[in-house]
Amino acid sequence: MLHQLTRAMTAGLVALAMAGTTGAATAAPESKDPIKVTLHDWTGQLITARIMGETLKKAGYNVDYVQADYLAQFAGMRTGDLHVAMEVWATTAKEAMDEAIAAGGVENVGETGMQAIEDWWFPEYMKEKCPGLPDWKALKECAEVFSTPETAPKGRYLGGPVTWGGYDEERVAALDLPFEVVHAGTDAAMFAELQSAYDRKAPILLWIYAPHWAPIKFKGEWIKFPPYEKACYEDPAWGVNKDAKYDCAKPRGPIYKAVWQGMKDKWPGAYKAVKAYTFDNKEIGELAAKVDLEGQKVEAVVDDWMAKNEDRWKKWIQ
Amino acid sequence: MTDAALSAPAVRRSFPLGRLLWPALLVVTIVLVNLPNGALPAWMTKYPAAWQIPTAAWISTFMRWLMEVASFGLFTVRDLFRAVAWVLDLPLAAAKAVLAEGIGWGRGADAVTIAPAIPWFSALIAGVAAAYKVGGARLAALIGAGLLYLAVFGQWAGAMVTLSSVLVSSALGAVGGLLIGLACVRWRWAERAVSPMLDLAQTMPVFAYLLPMLILFGFGPVSAMIATIVYAMPPMVRVTIIAIRAVPDEIRELGAMTGCTRRQLTWKMLVPSALPALMVGVNQVIMLSLNVVIIASMIGAGGLGFDVLSALRALKIGEGLEAGLAITVLAILLDRFAQALAVKTGRPPERDEQTARRKRSALQAAFMLAGALWILAAIVPDIARYPDALKLSTAPYWSDLVRWINVTFNATLDAIRTFAFLNLLAPAKRFALALPWAWVVALVVIAGLRLGGWRLGLGLGALALAIATTGLWQVAMLTVYLCGVAVVVACLIGVPVGVAAATRPRLWRAVETVIDLLQTLPSFVYLIPIVMLFRVGDFTALIAIVLYAVAPAIRYAAHGVARVPPTLIEAATMTGCTRRQILTRVRVPLALPEILLGINQTIMLALSMLVITALVGTRDLGQETYSALAKADVGKGLVAGLCVAFIAIIADRLVSAAAAKMKRRRGLGA
Amino acid sequence: MPDSILAARGVAKLFGARPERFVTDGRLSADAAALSAAGIVPAVIDVDLDIARGETFVIMGLSGSGKSTLVRCLSGLTPTTAGEILFEGRDLAKMPEHELIRIRRHQMGMVFQNFALLPHLTVLGNVAFPLDVQGRPRAEREARALEMIKLVGLGGREDRFPRELSGGQQQRVGIARSLAVGPDLWFLDEPFSALDPLIRREMQDEVLRLQGLLKKTIVFITHDFDEAVRIADRIAIMKDGRVAQIGSAEELVLNPATDYVRAFTRDAPRAKILTARSVMAPVAGASDFAGRIDAGSRIASFAHDVESSEKPFAVVERGEVIGVVDRLAMIDVLVGRERKVAA
Repeated sequence: MLHQLTRAMTAGLVALAMAGTTGAATAAPESKDPIKVTLHDWTGQLITARIMGETLKKAGYNVDYVQADYLAQFAGMRTGDLHVAMEVWATTAKEAMDEAIAAGGVENVGETGMQAIEDWWFPEYMKEKCPGLPDWKALKECAEVFSTPETAPKGRYLGGPVTWGGYDEERVAALDLPFEVVHAGTDAAMFAELQSAYDRKAPILLWIYAPHWAPIKFKGEWIKFPPYEKACYEDPAWGVNKDAKYDCAKPRGPIYKAVWQGMKDKWPGAYKAVKAYTFDNKEIGELAAKVDLEGQKVEAVVDDWMAKNEDRWKKWIQ
Repeated sequence: MTDAALSAPAVRRSFPLGRLLWPALLVVTIVLVNLPNGALPAWMTKYPAAWQIPTAAWISTFMRWLMEVASFGLFTVRDLFRAVAWVLDLPLAAAKAVLAEGIGWGRGADAVTIAPAIPWFSALIAGVAAAYKVGGARLAALIGAGLLYLAVFGQWAGAMVTLSSVLVSSALGAVGGLLIGLACVRWRWAERAVSPMLDLAQTMPVFAYLLPMLILFGFGPVSAMIATIVYAMPPMVRVTIIAIRAVPDEIRELGAMTGCTRRQLTWKMLVPSALPALMVGVNQVIMLSLNVVIIASMIGAGGLGFDVLSALRALKIGEGLEAGLAITVLAILLDRFAQALAVKTGRPPERDEQTARRKRSALQAAFMLAGALWILAAIVPDIARYPDALKLSTAPYWSDLVRWINVTFNATLDAIRTFAFLNLLAPAKRFALALPWAWVVALVVIAGLRLGGWRLGLGLGALALAIATTGLWQVAMLTVYLCGVAVVVACLIGVPVGVAAATRPRLWRAVETVIDLLQTLPSFVYLIPIVMLFRVGDFTALIAIVLYAVAPAIRYAAHGVARVPPTLIEAATMTGCTRRQILTRVRVPLALPEILLGINQTIMLALSMLVITALVGTRDLGQETYSALAKADVGKGLVAGLCVAFIAIIADRLVSAAAAKMKRRRGLGA
Repeated sequence: MPDSILAARGVAKLFGARPERFVTDGRLSADAAALSAAGIVPAVIDVDLDIARGETFVIMGLSGSGKSTLVRCLSGLTPTTAGEILFEGRDLAKMPEHELIRIRRHQMGMVFQNFALLPHLTVLGNVAFPLDVQGRPRAEREARALEMIKLVGLGGREDRFPRELSGGQQQRVGIARSLAVGPDLWFLDEPFSALDPLIRREMQDEVLRLQGLLKKTIVFITHDFDEAVRIADRIAIMKDGRVAQIGSAEELVLNPATDYVRAFTRDAPRAKILTARSVMAPVAGASDFAGRIDAGSRIASFAHDVESSEKPFAVVERGEVIGVVDRLAMIDVLVGRERKVAA
C-alpha cells in the first residue's frame, strides 16, 4: 500500500507539472469528491478499471477503487455509493444492469469494444479421446469419457458459480446431452480444477469466459453449439429441439460500461471520459496474461500501459 | 445432595422407557425413509408451497423502504446510517494512515503528505521494544521474528492494512462488547433482549448480513469493519457478563461501604477487578476479527485477505499460502501480545530500582530510534521500502508440490474420493433428502422434550418449523447432511487424537500447533489446493470442513480426559487397573460430557464453514446466502442465514442439554 | 440506651418470592410455619438491638444463623424486609441516596472476611481507595493512606500488590483501608475467619490495640466464641435468625437465657470471662487477707496469686471490701464445677 501511495503521489505531481506547463491539456475537475470505480475479481476487469481510474487521475479527478461484488455493485450504484463499473458483460450481468436502470440511478454508457465469450470449453488433448469435437453432437457419443463417479454414466460438465446463470441445465435438457451440470462455487475453484486436470491430461469440460488468461494459457477450443440467436432463448420452436428454449450456444455480446446517473452532472468531464473509453479483447487478454502468467502486478502493468499509450488515454479526457 | 437423592428414583423409573425410545425412533425413521413414493400424504414429505411464508420478500421490501423512504423528519434513516459510518471511519482512517498509507490530507493531485506510514524497520524496533516491556525477551523475540517474516516475504503492505482494520475493529468490538455486557449485568431486560441476538450473531453466516451492511453503511472498508465487529463482538459480551458477575460480592459491598456512586463502582472496581478475565474476551475478539479477514476483503477491506483471494484466483497457490500464513502470523502476534498484556496487568512491577531504570532507558532509546528512523524515512522515502532484492518467496515450490502430488498420486486420490462418495456421501445425502420434513420436526420436538423438557422441545420444534415455512427445507437438509457427515468424520478423527494426546505432553504440543494453524490459516488457502486434488464437489467441501472443525473435538476430548480428578486415577490404579483400563473405564467415561461439548463446538464450526465451502460449489444454505449476496437480494440472504442460525441453535441446545443431563447423572455438577 | 449510635428495631430479612406480603405496618406478621409453607427463608427475624457509642459489640453465631445477613442490614448493604435500622436516630431505609453515600463515605468503615482487596491496586492504592472515591486530591489521600499503613504495621510495603502479601498482611490492608476515612462506626465481618489460628490471635490483639488507640464503635461478626470473648464489651448470640441473648460474656456464661446459649458457653474459658465479683463469697467476718482484688478483674489475672496463697483475698469495689475469694473458689472455676455464685 505504501508504494501505491507514493505512486499516487508521483502521479499527482506529474499531473500538477503538466497542468503547469501545458495548461489546457487537462481541465480542472468539477468536483474534488472521489469517483468510486469498482473492482471485481478477475484480472481483465482490474486492468480495465485501473486504466480508467489512472486516466481520470491524470485529468485531475480523485479516484477511489472499491472492491465490490460484480452483481451486488448495482445496488451501490443506484444510491450513488459507487460510480463507475467498467465491465458489465452482456452475457452475465445485462439483466441485473437493465433491472437497475429500470429502477433508476444507473446509466449504460455504451460498449467497451470488448466482446464477451462465455461457453463450454475443452482442452485440446480431449480431441483424441472424443474425435468428433468441437462439434456439440460429439458430446452425445463420448459422455462417458467425461464421467465421474458422481455423474456416471453421464458426463460431467463443470459450470460456473450458480450466480453466473447461463441456463446450462436447460441447455443440457434441450439438446438432450447425457451430461450433468456441476457448479463451481467461484471461478478460482473452476480454474483450479482446469489446471489440475490439464496437468494430468485428465478429461474436463467446463465453462470458460473470455477475455481471460485461461484460453491463452491452456490450449483448447469452444464447443460449437448451434449459434445463438435471440429467438433461441425466447421461442421454443426455434432450433433442433422444437419444444425447448436454450438449444443453442450462449450469446456472445459486448461488454458495457455503466455509471451512476448523477455522474453526468457532478463530473461531466469524467463522464465523457468513461464514455469515450474503448479497448479490445486481444489487447486486454495480453495485459491479463502479463499479470496471471508472468506474475507482474496489476499496478505495474497498468503503469506500463499508461506510459506507452499516452495518445490513447489523452484522447479520452479531451 | 438432597436433589440427587430425590431425583434418583425418577431417573431409574424412566430409564427403560428412554432405552426403548431412541431405537424406536430410529426404526420409524428408517421405515419412513424407505417408504415408496406416495405412501405418505404429499404434504408430509414435501412442504407445500402454499404454506410458505414469504419472509424473504417482506425483508427485502422493508429494507428498500428503510433506505429509500423512511425518515425521521429532519433527516432520513439513510442519513443516520451514513453518519454512523462516517464516524466509524475516522479511527479506521487514522489507523490506516499511521500504519499503511501515510499521514496527510487531500487526495489525488492535492494530496499533502506530512509523514509516510510507519516504515517497516521503525515498526519492527517499536514492536520488539513494546513486546519486551510487556512480555520480556521471549515475547520480544517472537514479535521480532513475526514482523520480520512479514517484511521478508513481501507481506508488509497488506499486513499493515489488515492490522489497522483488525486493531480498530477489535478495539471497537471490545469496548462495545464491554458496554453491552455491563448493560446486561445491570438490567435484566437488556440481557433478555441481547441474548437471542448474540445467539444469532454467533451462528449466522457472515455472508448473510454483509449485504444489509453494504446497503445501510455504504460500500467500502467501513461496512466490512462493521460486519467484522458484529461477528467478533458476541464473545466479548458473554465474557463481560460472566466476568463482572464473578467479581466477589465483597468487592461490590466494599463499593457500597466506601460510598461509591454507580459509575465509580463500575469503572473503579468491577471492571479493573475483572480485567484478567475480560482480556480473554478481548483476545477472542481479535482472533475472530482475523477470521473474517478474507470475507471482509470481498467487500472492500483490502489487505492480506485481498492478497489471498487474488493470488488464489490466479491459482498462485504459493503466494496465497504466504499471504495466508501472514494472517496466521498476525494472529499469533496479536494473541501472544494480548495474553502477555493480560498477565502483566496482574503482575507486580520491577522492584529492583536499578534494573527498572536500565530497562526504562533502553525502551526509551528504542522508541526514540524508531521515531528518528521514521522521520528519516519521511525525508528519504526510498529507504522506507523493504528492498525487493532481499525478499524471499517459497511460492513456486508450493505450486510445484501441489502439481507433483496431483500428477503422482492421482490414482490414489481418486480412489479415496470415489470410495468416500459412494459409501459415505451419496447414501447420507439420499437419506437426508428422503426424510419427511414433518417427521424431522417431530424428532426435534421429541429430542428436546426428552433432554430438556417441554419448553425446549416446543421451542426447538418451532425453529425447525420456521425453516420449513421459508421453503428452504431441501436446501436446509443438504446443509444438515454435509455438516452431519463432516461432524461425524471430525469426531472419528478428533476424539481419538484428543484422548491419545491428553496424557502425552509432547504429542499434545505437536497436535496443538497443527490445530492452531488450521484454525488461524484462512481456509480459502487450503480450499483451492484441495479442489485441485479432489475436484469441485461435496468431498472437497467435506475435507475443508473437517480440517477446520476438528480442532474443538480434539481440544475438548484432551481437556476432558486430562481433567479427570487425580484421586480417581489413583483409586483405579490401586484397584489394579491397567493403563488401558484406566483410559477406557475411568478417563473416557468421565470425560464424556466434556467430549460432547467439544462435538457441539465442532458442529458450530462446521456450520460456520458452510459459506466458505459455497465457494467450491456446495448447494446448501451457504450457497444460498452467497448467491443472495451476489444477486443483491437482502431478504433471501437473511432468511437463508437465519435458517443456518436455527439449525445451529437446535444442535447447540440439544447437545448442551444432553451434556448437562449426562453431567448431572454422573454427579459432576451441571 | 442513651447514646446509641446504631439501633435495630424489629428487623427482619426474608428471602423468597414477594416476602413483603408478610409485613404489616413495618413489622413481620407471620410465624415460622407460615413462612416455610410459602417457601420463604427467614434469614433474620425480629431483631432489636442498640449499640452504644464507643462499645465493641460482637454478633456471634454459627454459619446459617443469620449474623452475616444481620450485619448487612445494619450497614444498609441489604434492605430489610421489615423493621428499621437507626443510625444516629435516623432510619437508613428512608434516607435519600446521597445522604446514605455521605454517611458511608465519612462515618462507616468495613472489613471483609475475604479482604475484598482490589487486585489491580497496590497497598497504597487500596488504602487510599475510599478517599479516591470521595474525590480527595492525590497528595492528601496518599499521605493519609501512608499514615494508616504505618498504623497497621505495613510501613514500607505500600507499593506491593495484594497477591504479594500473606493473608494476615492482606487483612491488615483491609483494616487500614476501613480506617482511612476515620469512621465512627467500624464493621468487621468475620475479619479473621480466613486466617490461620496463630495469625488470628495476633490480629485480634491488633484490633484491641487499635481500639485502645482510636476508640471507635465496633460491630464485630464472628463464629468463634473465644474471639468474641477476647474482644467484646457485649455479645449478641444468634440462632436461626433470632437474637438468643445479648449481654457481656460474663452474663452469658452465668445466666444463659436458653439451652442453646448454655451449650455454647459451657466450654468457654471461664477464667478469662468471669470476674472476681461473680465468684466471690460473702465476707465471713473480719479475716486475714493475703491481698486485695478489684471486683471487675478477670479470674485469669489473679488466679495464680490466689492459688499460691493459703489465705483468701479480699474483693474490693470503690475501696470497700465486698467479698472474698479463696483457693477453693479458684479450683471450682477452673475445673468448671457449678457452685452457687453471686449475681
